[in-house]
Amino acid sequence: MTRSTSERVERPSRLGSAPPANMADTRPRKPAFTTRRGLGIAAFMAPAVLFVVVFIYYPMISGSQMAFRNWNLTDLTDTSWVGFKNFQAMFADPVFYTVLGHTAVWVAGSIVPQFVIGFAIALWLRRHFRFRGLYQALIFFPWAISGFLIGILFRWMFNSEFGVINDLLSKAGLIDQPIPWLADPKTAMIAITVANVWYGVTFFTIMILAALQSIPDELYEAASLDGAGKARTLFQITVPSIRATLSLTVLLRVIWIFNFPDIIFGMTGGGPSNETHIVTTWMISITQQGDYGKASATGLIVVTMLLVFSVFYLMATREKKGAKS
Amino acid sequence: MRRRKATFALGLATAMALTGCAAGVSDGTVTIHMVESLTNPTRTAVLKTLIAQFEKQNPKIKVDLISPPTDQADQKIQQMLQSGTGIDALEVRDITAGPWSTNGWLYDMSKELQSWSGWKNLTENAIKYSKDAKGRTDYIPYGFYGLSLFYRTDLVAKKGFKNPPASWDDLLTQATAIQDPSNHQYGYAFRGGTNANSNAVAVIEAYVADKIDLDNGFKLTDGRTIFSAPEALNALNTYFKLFKQASPPSSVAWGYPEMVEGFSNGSTAFLLQDPEVIATVGQSQVINKSQWATAPLLTGPSGKAIQPVATAGWGTAASSKHKAETAKLIEFLSQGEASTTFTKENSLVPILQGASEDTFYKTGPWASYLTMTENPSKYITVTQPRSSSWWTEWIQKSDAEVQKVLLGKMTPEELLASWDTYWTEKWKGQ
Amino acid sequence: MINKESIAGRIVRIAFLAMWLVITVFPLYWITITSLKIPGAIFKFPIAYWPDEFSLQNYAGLFSKAQFGVYLGNSLIVATVAGTVATAISILSAYVLARFEFRSKTALLMAALVTQMIPSFIALGPLYMMMTQLGLVDNRFGLILVYIAVCIPFCTVMLRGFFENVPDALEEAAMVDGCSRFGALFRVLLPVMRPGIVAAFIFNFVNCWNELFLSVTLMNSDTNKTIPTALNGFISSFNIDWGSMSAAAVLTIVPTMALFAFASRYIVQGLTSGAVKG
Repeated sequence: MTRSTSERVERPSRLGSAPPANMADTRPRKPAFTTRRGLGIAAFMAPAVLFVVVFIYYPMISGSQMAFRNWNLTDLTDTSWVGFKNFQAMFADPVFYTVLGHTAVWVAGSIVPQFVIGFAIALWLRRHFRFRGLYQALIFFPWAISGFLIGILFRWMFNSEFGVINDLLSKAGLIDQPIPWLADPKTAMIAITVANVWYGVTFFTIMILAALQSIPDELYEAASLDGAGKARTLFQITVPSIRATLSLTVLLRVIWIFNFPDIIFGMTGGGPSNETHIVTTWMISITQQGDYGKASATGLIVVTMLLVFSVFYLMATREKKGAKS
Repeated sequence: MRRRKATFALGLATAMALTGCAAGVSDGTVTIHMVESLTNPTRTAVLKTLIAQFEKQNPKIKVDLISPPTDQADQKIQQMLQSGTGIDALEVRDITAGPWSTNGWLYDMSKELQSWSGWKNLTENAIKYSKDAKGRTDYIPYGFYGLSLFYRTDLVAKKGFKNPPASWDDLLTQATAIQDPSNHQYGYAFRGGTNANSNAVAVIEAYVADKIDLDNGFKLTDGRTIFSAPEALNALNTYFKLFKQASPPSSVAWGYPEMVEGFSNGSTAFLLQDPEVIATVGQSQVINKSQWATAPLLTGPSGKAIQPVATAGWGTAASSKHKAETAKLIEFLSQGEASTTFTKENSLVPILQGASEDTFYKTGPWASYLTMTENPSKYITVTQPRSSSWWTEWIQKSDAEVQKVLLGKMTPEELLASWDTYWTEKWKGQ
Repeated sequence: MINKESIAGRIVRIAFLAMWLVITVFPLYWITITSLKIPGAIFKFPIAYWPDEFSLQNYAGLFSKAQFGVYLGNSLIVATVAGTVATAISILSAYVLARFEFRSKTALLMAALVTQMIPSFIALGPLYMMMTQLGLVDNRFGLILVYIAVCIPFCTVMLRGFFENVPDALEEAAMVDGCSRFGALFRVLLPVMRPGIVAAFIFNFVNCWNELFLSVTLMNSDTNKTIPTALNGFISSFNIDWGSMSAAAVLTIVPTMALFAFASRYIVQGLTSGAVKG
C-alpha cells in the first residue's frame, strides 16, 4: 500500500484506495496564504466564533474573576482581590483529594463499560437483522432523557424498601435482606455508576455506528480474501479506520462525565457523608454555601486539569497513529 | 437545498414573531414582579387567587408572579437581586434574610409600613420577626414552622401503649416495639440526609432545656455551646439508638421528602416534622385519617421541650422602582382573609392573633400545636442562629458528620467536640 | 457487508443484544408502570410487575395543575430553532476545520473543547447580567441565542469528524466538474453526510430539550417556561410522591422518545443507503 508521509493519509477513508491518496497529493493542499482563502475561512468560521465568544467565553471569563476575589454571597460588601488565596484554600483542604479520588472512580467506572458495551452493540448492529430499526430506536432512548430524570428513575428503582432492584435480587435469591443502596457509600457509588453506564452507552453506540458507515466494504472484502480472522479484522481494519472518532468520543465523554453532576444530584446529592461527591457536585455544594470565590477557583482547577489531560491525551493518540503507519 | 434554506428562514421568522415583546402600557398601571422561593403547585395556585383579589382591589397595580422550581429558586432570586432588575416583591426566608440584607439587596420597609393598620393584629412572634436586630423590616413573616410528632394511632395502640410518646425516651421504647423489618414495618422516620443536623440539635436542646439561652438556641446561659454540655451526649446516645434499633437502614440518606413519604406510605410509625406536613399526610392513599394524629414535641429528662422557630415572609427588593405598590401588596398578604387563607391552605402556624381561635386550628392534627402554645413554660420557644452568614456552611458540615456517626465513622463524642469547636470559634470571630 | 459469522458467535450476539435491550427498556417500563398504578398501590407488597388495575389518577393530578401544552410548545420552538441554526452554523465551521490547514486551527479546536469543561455556574451570573442589559431575559429568542452558542462547539467537533470520514475525492470530482468550493459543499458533501447531520441535529435538539439551568435562570413567566423547568418545579415540590413524579417523568420523556423513534429510523435509512461508502 502506498503511503505518503503527509499527515492526512491517516484519514481512514483512504486506506486501501491508493488512487485517491495519490490524487490528494497532487492537489495543492496547503497553498500559500492568500487573502481570498483567508477571508473564506474567516467567513465560514465567523458565525460559530461570534456566538461562542459572546455567549460562552465572555460570561465565563467575566465570571472567572470571582476565583481571585473574596466573593461570598453571604457578604458581598467586601469583594476585594485576594490573589490565589481561594486556590490555596482548595489545595489545603483534604476533602479536595478525597473528592478527586471519587471523581477518578466515577469517570473510569462509567466510561470503560460504556465504551465496551457501546462498541460491541455498534459492531453487531452493522449486520442486518429483522426489526433492527426498531431495536435501534429502543436502545437509543436513554440518551433522550435528562440526567435529572435519570437520577429520579434510578433512585426509585434503587429504593431500599419499595425498589424493584432489591425485589428482583431477592426473587433471584441473591439477597435475603434489602440493600439500602443509597445509604451506604460503597453501594451508593455502584448505584450512581450503574445509572450513568445505562445512560451513556447510547452515545458511544450512535457515534461509533455513524463512523463505521464510513469504512468501505472493499476493505473488509480484501481482509477476508487475505484470510484475516475476526479479531484481526477488528484490530487491523475497524479500529484504525475509526480511530479519530473513537479517540475524540472517549475524550469528550471523559470531559462530560467529569462535569456531570445531574445523576449524582438526582440520586444521592453527594451523600452519604460526602462519599459520592465528585469535584463538580462538591463545587456546587460550595456555591450553595455562597462561596463563589472558592467554587470558581475549583472550577478553574477543573478546567486546567481537563485541559492538561486533553493535551496529553491528544498527543498520545496522535503518536500511536503515527507509529502504526 | 433551497427547501432547507426556506425552512431555516421560516423557523427564524417564527421565532422572532413569537418572542416579540408586548407593547408597553402607559395608562398609569404599574406592574410589580413577585418571586417566590418555596414553590409548590398548590401554594402557587393559592397565591394566584390572592393576587387576583389584590388586583381587583387595586386596578392600577398588576402583579406578575414568578415561580421558579424551589431547588433553584434562591439562586435565581440572588441573580435577580444582584442584577437589580425585574424583581419587586420576593419571598425571604429566615436563613436568606441575613445575607441578602447585608448585601444591601433588601429594602427596609419600616417607612412604608409605619402607618399600616395591620400591625395590631399580628402575633407577638410575627412582630418580633418583622424586625431584625438593627430594627429594619426586611420582611413580614407569612407564617411559622414548628415541630410536632406525627404518630400512627393504630400501631401505638396495637403494641399496648395508651399514650403517644411524650419524651425522647418514650419514643425510643415505642418505636423499638413497633419496628419489624421482616414485615416492612419500621419505627421512626429518621432524618439522616439533608438537614439531619436539625433533629439532632432538637434532641440536644431538649436535654439541656433547663440552661439554654432563649435568644440563641445553640448557647447555654453560661455562654458555652449546648454541645459542650454533658447532657448532650446522653441526648445523642438516645437519638442514635433510635436509628439503630427503630429506623429503616436507608434513612441514613433521608431528607424531608423521604421522611414524609416514609410516614405517609405507612412504612414508619413516627415522624418529627413541620405542620405543613399535615396537608401532605392528609392526602395519603395508604393511611387514612383515623390512623394517625400528632403529639406535642418530645421532651427531655427535665420534662421540657425546646421549639426552634423557623419562618419566611414577603419583602421588597432594594432595586424596586415601585416600593409603595409592593408595600401595598405585602400589607394585603399579611392581613385579614388573605393571610388566614394562606396559612390554612399551606398549614402554617398563623401570624394573626385570634386566628388560632378558628376551629381549624383547634381540632385534629392541629390540636397538639394548641397544647404547645398554651404551655409556654413546658414547650419553650427559642431562636436559633439561623440568620448567621455561615448557616449553610454549618448545615453541610453538620449533616455530613451526623451521617458519619450513622455509618460508624465517627463517635458521638467526636461529633459533639467538633460542633462545640465550630460554634465557639465562629462566635469568637464575630 | 461483513463475513459470515459462526453459530456460536450468532448466539453470543443475539443473547447480548437481547440482554441489553431488556436492561435499556426495563427502567422505562418500570417508571411507566409506576405512573399507571393507583396511588398508594406502589407501596403494597408484593411489588406488582403488572398491576391488577390501571389508573390515570397521577396524570390527571398533573394536568389540573399546569399548562403542559404551553411548556411543550415553548420547548419545541426553542429546541427546534436552536438545534437547526446551531447545526447550520456548525456545518460551516466544521467544514473549514476539516478541509483546511491554517495556523489558528488547533487553538480553535482546543477552544471548542474548553467550552465543554467550564462549570456553568461560573458563567451564569455574568450571562444573566448581559442578557438583562440586552433585554433578552424572559424571552424565548434570548434563550434560543444562548442555546445556539451552547450547541455549536460539540456540534462542530462532531461534524468535523464526519467530514473527515468523507474522502476529499468526492468534492474534488465536483470541483473538477466546475463547482465552486461552496457549491461542492452543498451539492455533493451535504447529501452524503445527511445521516451525520441528522445525528448532529438530534444531539442539539435533545440537549436543548433537556437543558435546565439556563432555562431556569433566563426565563421567568409561566408562559415562557420550558418543560424541564416546569417538571423540575413539580418534582422538587412533590415530596417524593413517586406516582406523580413518574407521571411527570413519562410526560417529559415521551416527546423526545417520539423524536428518537422517528429520527433513528431516518438515521438508519441514511446509514444503510451506503452513500458514505468511499
